[in-house]
Amino acid sequence: MARRALVFAALAVAVIAASVVSLALGAINVPLSETIDILLGKGTGGPHEQIVETLRLPRTVEALAVGAALGVAGAILQGALANPLASPDVIGVTGGAGFGAILIIILFPGSIALLPVGALAFGLLAASLVFAIAWSGANRGNTGKVILAGIAVLSLFTAGTTGLLAAYPERAPSAIFFIAGGLTSSGWDELQTIWPYFAVGFICAAILIRPLDRLALGDDVAASLGSRPHLIRLGAAIAAALLAAASAAIAGLLGFLGLVVPHVVRMAGGTSSQTFVVPASALGGAALLAAADTLARTLRAPIEMPVGPFMVILGVPLFLWLLRKVV
Amino acid sequence: MTTAAREGSAEAPLRARGVEVEIGGTPILRGADLELARGELLAVVGPNGAGKSTLVRAVSGLQPLAAGEVRWSGRELGEMRGRDLARVRAFVPQRMPVPAGVTVREAVTIGRSSHLRPLRRLSAHDQDAIGAAMERTGVTRFAGRALTTLSGGELQRVQIAVGLAQETPVLIADEPTSQLDLGATVGIATLLRSLADDGLAVLLVVHDLALAAALADRAVIVAEGRTVAAGEPGAILTSERLASIWHAEAHLSEHDGRTALHVAWTERAEASRGAS
Repeated sequence: MARRALVFAALAVAVIAASVVSLALGAINVPLSETIDILLGKGTGGPHEQIVETLRLPRTVEALAVGAALGVAGAILQGALANPLASPDVIGVTGGAGFGAILIIILFPGSIALLPVGALAFGLLAASLVFAIAWSGANRGNTGKVILAGIAVLSLFTAGTTGLLAAYPERAPSAIFFIAGGLTSSGWDELQTIWPYFAVGFICAAILIRPLDRLALGDDVAASLGSRPHLIRLGAAIAAALLAAASAAIAGLLGFLGLVVPHVVRMAGGTSSQTFVVPASALGGAALLAAADTLARTLRAPIEMPVGPFMVILGVPLFLWLLRKVV
Repeated sequence: MTTAAREGSAEAPLRARGVEVEIGGTPILRGADLELARGELLAVVGPNGAGKSTLVRAVSGLQPLAAGEVRWSGRELGEMRGRDLARVRAFVPQRMPVPAGVTVREAVTIGRSSHLRPLRRLSAHDQDAIGAAMERTGVTRFAGRALTTLSGGELQRVQIAVGLAQETPVLIADEPTSQLDLGATVGIATLLRSLADDGLAVLLVVHDLALAAALADRAVIVAEGRTVAAGEPGAILTSERLASIWHAEAHLSEHDGRTALHVAWTERAEASRGAS
């Protein structure tokens, strides 16, 4: 128990540190003390306040929300499908969101503001397709069936995306940033559209924590305790789809985070109890994305690198090191 | 107490009539009856594929019925929600998956979760129930260990503890000893018998007929999807039934509470008996 509390505290500190650094650093560095003053409403109204409040605060909040959402989505999917490889990719969301975004970028380049909506809509469409196939007929809600349906739908949408890019190669460069995954300093607009999806996703995930723990002891024990296993899986998949599609709408395709953060959290806490893993994955994902985004836009400022590949390059060695140590 | 409640309390904890189950269009159960009394240990026996597991899963609400009637203390199974069922029976599967990173105490705590509302914490009474379930099954001394480090016998005790934490009047266990060695089997048998002696109704699927005869107050024989006999184990497990249902030449013997199944294991043994 003490170990979990320690991991939790460390993660909370990491979230706060990453947020403050994310607000302070960038093309123009704002001193830490001034950043904190601005946050507390004691700013002096200078250009720094403008930068922190209108550019960096929304971006930092986006990084925290997306990071937390992907961490939680990965945690509940891995629990629901009892499969360590599960991530939002597996239920088709990533493939669908990618296709929706590329569709807007390539066919409607004049309406680029629709990109988040396209990503969200197609992400959810792809997930619905997977659910419709996997939760009907014989063996509905069976883990293997969900994963196979997910991979098939993912392939379908990935083929659509590749086809679009091949047909309009001259417009492909503008799609790369979305595919790589990254945040932009575009103010509060995107969050204002997308936040309800995050909210519903997080609430569902919180309610599913205990049912998911039951599922860890098998479908029969879950049924003995009055749950219906295939409905728990469906609920978890829907919550994960909402969180992942909303994340893709804001930050493009950052699948790696959802796969890895829950594993790191489990290894660090020494438990796979969802009561710990789900909230800790939220904190871990938020801290990781906020920190990685800060690095991505400061290392070669004013040039911004996409955070997706950056995070993978940073995260994989850490992940592999933990994997060697623990397993 | 209302009249209905008084009538309900007089009912047998579990009564099933004419249960039929189809899986993928294939009839598995074609008409099975079952009645379980308070504090009784009832063994369901039968050959492989007879439908024993399907029967206990069906009455537990884990497998949909094609026909028939199941009543829990008088209440129709079809009208009970998952949460209601979780209050009347605990189902202990043959072998639960063993997730990594879950301790014995955490697993037993999960067994208590049917009593909790979403997002609520454990009450002192819940903690007591978890502690009592662990104490009763003898798992307290390794409560902090991960499930992945346990032996088969220890794991089976934990599974029963998970069921006991539900605090139901009926415990249903599907072949709890089928993968255990002799000593571990004796341990689980002793535990289940003492639970029944203390008033818990126990419904047990069991392969070992000598064990069933020693342990059970009554047995039900399932063959080809039907219950063909019910009663005191020594009385219904006759040589004739062992021959016609199990296709084995064997007989049960009992002496001082010890049971044995004497089997002609090879055709040569059968032949030599015929010659003598």
